[in-house]
Amino acid sequence: MSISVTERNQKSVRRISYVWLITAAAVAVAGRVYEHFSHEIYSFPMMYAFLYPLLAGALPYQTLALLEKRSPGRLSRGLYNAGVVSLTVGSVFDGVLEIYGTSNSLTSVYAVAGVILMTAGLLLYLLSPHTRKKQSKDG
Amino acid sequence: MSFLKKPFAAGILYALILLGFTAYAALDTFVIPRTYSPIISESQSESSAETSSNAESGEMSSESNVSREPDESSLSEWFTETVVQTDMTYSDPHIAITITKYREYGTDIFLADIRLSDPSYLKTAFAKDSFGQNIRALTSTTAKAHNALLAINGDYYGARVGSGGYVLRNGMLYQDRPMSSRVTGTLDDLVMWNDGSFSIINEKTTTADSLMKGGARHLLSFGPTMLSNGQLTVSPETLTGLSRSKNPRTAIGIVDIGHYVFAVAEGRQGNANAGLTVYEMALFLQSHGVTTAYNLDGGGSSTLYFNGQLINHPTDGTSFKERSVSDIVYIGY
Repeated sequence: MSISVTERNQKSVRRISYVWLITAAAVAVAGRVYEHFSHEIYSFPMMYAFLYPLLAGALPYQTLALLEKRSPGRLSRGLYNAGVVSLTVGSVFDGVLEIYGTSNSLTSVYAVAGVILMTAGLLLYLLSPHTRKKQSKDG
Repeated sequence: MSFLKKPFAAGILYALILLGFTAYAALDTFVIPRTYSPIISESQSESSAETSSNAESGEMSSESNVSREPDESSLSEWFTETVVQTDMTYSDPHIAITITKYREYGTDIFLADIRLSDPSYLKTAFAKDSFGQNIRALTSTTAKAHNALLAINGDYYGARVGSGGYVLRNGMLYQDRPMSSRVTGTLDDLVMWNDGSFSIINEKTTTADSLMKGGARHLLSFGPTMLSNGQLTVSPETLTGLSRSKNPRTAIGIVDIGHYVFAVAEGRQGNANAGLTVYEMALFLQSHGVTTAYNLDGGGSSTLYFNGQLINHPTDGTSFKERSVSDIVYIGY
């Protein structure tokens, strides 16, 4: 039996959301381990870095799967995922600096790049012809 | 070019860019040394100090209750006409040092009792004699380079170069921007004045310029303040994070003008030396008559150097070895 395009889309989107879920768990564990060895210095960026892959990664893709929406195209997906990765890496790095007791203005680059990439990916998905056509059909 | 057409090529490329940038940011933060010049030179600060007195400015809140003149009669009994030296003591006509080892809170604590005929013998030094970022050296190395009789690690100013926090040493101002609230630490600084007294100031309410004009000699910025006017300024409830846990500690204090203490506690050695909380260090110093006491960089940085030897056993908890630090406080000529 062949799998319909819709089912393939949903499978693909769910797979991506699971990858983000695993990433969120890994970041949470890594952050906890790092803080364990930091002699009781706690850092919010380190403690909550896992929220980026969880809320900006797993959650949107799981929502797309549940609502049976079209899977984002490769470019849109790549840009958005790169943005989430940037924010996550930036948060972890910021946490490392905070635990060390210092700071560096370069960490703002992660946030800027992350937001720009996520926004670009999101806009590309929302404004793509396939999405607009489906929306008008549904309407 | 065909590689770039592969589905994962862009992802790998971006991952490499991200990795490269992170590596650069890490090197910039922890490795790449940068030196900076002082903002105000000693000659400028000395001409200001001649015409103004410290702790009188409305901007400063001096909490030192010590007298303005050293009690020479009580100090003279500590000095000797010639150099007399043992493993834990030193005396000459101008400097007297006695190091005593105590055992409290399951930890060895070394207390260096210091008497000086002139407060200018209490000095600070930068690693490699340079102010900047990622410039570090062992406390013992910097101490030897300055012929220090006695030395402790300082406030590790290197972690906050560019982030803010006053840096003032030997009458020269290097950083006059108040500390960023993001950086770990308090805004209370310890000021050592030209007349040998100590004060606690807050960077929110006191400008670096007013300190220079008031005759500040050195400023240390780490904290918290442990004692002020002989009273505890910390409690188990107010301490957070590292200050509340047991660790090696370094502290500096004053009993009276001309009479100072350096204290270094061992730690991170299991049951042999559990370490001290900042509160325990405060209680210890209070019991020894210290009136103003200030916490400095602890943990693996805590180092006590005397007469060419390390007195304590610096450790980060995994191995015994001295840590490279940004600066030291020392006694010497």
